[in-house]
Amino acid sequence: MNNVLYTIFVISISLLLGKVANYLLAALPASLYGMILYALFLQLNWFSANRVTKTNQWFIKHMGVCLVPAGMGIINHFELIQQHGIALVIIIFSSTFILLTVIGYLSERFLITPDNYKSETTKGLR
Amino acid sequence: MLTTFIANSPILASLVITLITIATYQLASACQQKWQYIWLNPMLFSICILVPFLLLTEINYQEYNQTTQVLNLLLEPAIVALGLPLYQQFKQIRFYWREMTAILVFGITVVITVSFILAMWLIKAPEIAIALSLKSVTTPIGITLTEQLFGDSSITAFAILIAGLFGALLGPQWLSFIGVNSAKAQGLAVGSASHVIGTAVLVRKSAEHGAYSSVALILSAVLTALISPWLIPLLQILFN
Repeated sequence: MNNVLYTIFVISISLLLGKVANYLLAALPASLYGMILYALFLQLNWFSANRVTKTNQWFIKHMGVCLVPAGMGIINHFELIQQHGIALVIIIFSSTFILLTVIGYLSERFLITPDNYKSETTKGLR
Repeated sequence: MLTTFIANSPILASLVITLITIATYQLASACQQKWQYIWLNPMLFSICILVPFLLLTEINYQEYNQTTQVLNLLLEPAIVALGLPLYQQFKQIRFYWREMTAILVFGITVVITVSFILAMWLIKAPEIAIALSLKSVTTPIGITLTEQLFGDSSITAFAILIAGLFGALLGPQWLSFIGVNSAKAQGLAVGSASHVIGTAVLVRKSAEHGAYSSVALILSAVLTALISPWLIPLLQILFN
């Protein structure tokens, strides 16, 4: 229970500072500043990563339910889907595959050094 | 009838409708746990059940959104909570972060530009174009960024789901087909294109696939957040 309150406290502090950062610097949404600050606090060991891990993971695991209301907005877009459904799917499909190809190809080309690659392929064969 | 109920006792209505939403989501999660199908995504499943429910009960979206405010309020702390995986991945990317960042920045710039231009060309609505260009990041961050840029966040939420499913179901095969076979490259590609849904599939292939996929998922979300507030207004100028 202690760690639950600790986690809520650390997340709230990060979000609060995120709001300040958003007010001063604009550009990013407050919650994203909060996320970056939270990671930074853990990295600097200002707050204990061990104590927040369990509650935080529970929070992330069930986060999807908070997104349902946003997704429900689709109810106002039946007309758009009727008119442009195929265009929507084409755009999503093609851009997803472009991204997959670009990142996959570049990573294969630039992130894998020859001996590194060898060890990985042998691992795959085993 | 339900509309007057919502107007007369907002707190009770809030409680009931939020509970229905949570229960539906729980049911969907339980089904996915049991059968392990990727397309049985809890959010997609919940929307497919709740949309007919709202239509039947004649609750409009504004009313639904108002009564589920609690869930919306939790979205901000939920995004902050993603700082923990970001911190955990720091160690993973320590040695490669320059190369990885460069690759992801390039990929994200390409995908935002392509989606935006395609959407403006085919659909001609800026708020839809913004929503579609932010569809490769994890849902909470995609929604927040879209709202900040005045796009339509419900379209983002849906497009993110579909992109996630495409990449998760076809991504690994496609990558093998074009000759991208290493765990690192496959992980990074699927993680950046299909976020959590893709990562959930890749984890089954190998732990290394899963690790790189989660690196890409979190890093590409942060980078998209940094790039999109500059890139999208630039693209908008292009179309004015």
